[in-house]
Amino acid sequence: MLDSFGQFIGAFGSFLSPGLVVTVLWATFLGIVVGALPGLTATMGVALMTTLTFTMPHTEAILVLVCIYVGAIYGGSRSAILLNIPGTPASACSTLDGYPLARQGLAGRAMGISTSGSWLGTLFGTLCVATLTPVLAELALTFQSYEFFWIATFGIVIAGTLSGGDALKGYLAGFFGLWISTIGQEPHYNYQRFAYGFTDLAGGIGLLPALVGAFGVAEVLQAMRAPAAKAVSSSIDSVIPRIADVLQHWKTILRSGAIGTFIGILPGLGEDTAAWSSYAAARRASKEKEKYGKGSIEGLMSAETGESACVPGAIIPVLTLAVPGSAPAAALMAAMMIHDINPGPMLMIQTPEFFYQIVAMLVIADMTKLFFGLTLVRPLLWILLVPRERLMPIVFVLCTVGAFAITSRVFDIYVMLFFGLIGFVLRELKFPMAPMILGLVLGDLMESNLTRALVLSDGSIAPFFTRPISGGLAAITIFSIVWSVPSAQAAIRRRLAGLFRRQSAAG
Amino acid sequence: MTETPPPSLMPHEQPLPPRYDLWTAAVFFCVGVAIVWLAFLMPTYRDQQGPIYEAPGLVPTLHGIVVVVLSIWLGLRSVSRGALRTGGADEPRKSREGYSNTRLVLAGLLCLVFAVGLVGQLPFWLAAAIFVFAFTSLFEWRAEAPIKERARRLAIAAVLGIGTGVAVTLVFQRAFLVRLP
Repeated sequence: MLDSFGQFIGAFGSFLSPGLVVTVLWATFLGIVVGALPGLTATMGVALMTTLTFTMPHTEAILVLVCIYVGAIYGGSRSAILLNIPGTPASACSTLDGYPLARQGLAGRAMGISTSGSWLGTLFGTLCVATLTPVLAELALTFQSYEFFWIATFGIVIAGTLSGGDALKGYLAGFFGLWISTIGQEPHYNYQRFAYGFTDLAGGIGLLPALVGAFGVAEVLQAMRAPAAKAVSSSIDSVIPRIADVLQHWKTILRSGAIGTFIGILPGLGEDTAAWSSYAAARRASKEKEKYGKGSIEGLMSAETGESACVPGAIIPVLTLAVPGSAPAAALMAAMMIHDINPGPMLMIQTPEFFYQIVAMLVIADMTKLFFGLTLVRPLLWILLVPRERLMPIVFVLCTVGAFAITSRVFDIYVMLFFGLIGFVLRELKFPMAPMILGLVLGDLMESNLTRALVLSDGSIAPFFTRPISGGLAAITIFSIVWSVPSAQAAIRRRLAGLFRRQSAAG
Repeated sequence: MTETPPPSLMPHEQPLPPRYDLWTAAVFFCVGVAIVWLAFLMPTYRDQQGPIYEAPGLVPTLHGIVVVVLSIWLGLRSVSRGALRTGGADEPRKSREGYSNTRLVLAGLLCLVFAVGLVGQLPFWLAAAIFVFAFTSLFEWRAEAPIKERARRLAIAAVLGIGTGVAVTLVFQRAFLVRLP
């Protein structure tokens, strides 16, 4: 315990050099700006900055990306409150009560609530990273190929079930992503699948160009199609969070923090699901349900706490299983791999210091976010009012550089364009993007573990269901699929209700 | 027969007419069948005593089959929700206020010209400057505005274009040692 605390203090101290402090300040500020600007998302910010930072030492590079991630998720609430347009998808929930508060002349108070909720949410999530990661990593060490196959499958299924609404479309997007991950050379015979002589295709589809396309180019197209945003007000009341707001809603903060972190741990769901789930839970438990959607402080607090708690939560499965908990976490995981850090169960054994560094990075980014949240209100308001006609071409130029820079292949620019188009069309058709990206990330994990497990079992699929943890994961995966079928869900609910009635009658 | 649609969208989203889902299902069905067929044509390496579960086409085949099954499920669901019914079921989507397909197509074309036509043909700073200038000036162009206003907008676009080209080159190539296309 003391040893762990000492290592954490050591990691914290290693980031206190003047150069790194400056890095933290600009990276967090950039993250907040990226999040605040409609059309720029946390995923795009992390993916693009991976390009910019890949010549940096690995701890500095990951520090920048963590600051961008934490800052961007918080920054999204600015445009949600002032423009009624979520800066990132995660902030969509904050528009419900943030914008009505701004229209009542309480934009400053709404931003204060957002700042305090977001700060406490990330702090809560970081505490969970510090306490849960070693336990989960220990558990993950007992996993074999069977379990990893089910974790990958469960990731796709749960992301499809919960991430964007329509589970069926989520599954389709997920398996489409899994198929895309099979393009290129396969591991056993080096056979070039779906490449047809194109050497670039034989190299496979890079995750970062795909992410930049699906979350950057698609956003550019959507922003140019949508109407221009207008700020609700240019005069803002005090943004200093009120202690009373925090004390009065401590139960909401704890509940939302726990929900946000839990959703973060589940593969591929991400901050938007965390915000909506926290909001729904807070509303159910509230004594003032009628205020929700009309400027409820409790509602805004729950959404902000939930989405920000999800950020550290989404990093937990990256560190323990090499499975991202959200789309930005997928970009962060790709960056770790580029910097030769191997996320997954072996991380705590091979590079335990990196775990403490990640915890320290999250705390530092959270504190810097609080600082900027209290001081940088007016400059952010000006940035929000930059016309998209001037902003979007610059974003596209950055996307092009971001897609190209990691491997210096022009082919990656075409991959970016392809995923931009696919991302735009699928989003218009109400397909969630997270399962597709998760499919792309988990494709290798799923395939290599499936074939390895079949080799180990000499072709038998029985161990996939008979090993205790593997069987449990299989049951959860199958249950998630069944639960997403409305008639099956209704039947299960009826049976459970009947069971409870019988039990209470017997009792 | 018609079941109540489940709460399949996030609370801030509007539902799509079922016929859109039917067309989407048809496209995914074709993609799934193509995946299965192309994977089926891949070698199995059985002549080298390779186990069948290491065959290159096995995993893509499984993915393809799942895509086919899910697309059939989506298609049937859209039919049960009225995709094939005439009238009513396929109401034209209300055009969302302020949304413009013209702006979308123009933006898409400009991005395509930049990424495919300019990048690699010109120095990156120049390509970026031309693209940003063209994009900004085209979208901000108001034919009815006075000449002075139009000239001002063009000047802003030019400054923005050159500024972007120079800044991206300096920051990426010089400060962060990143290669540019």
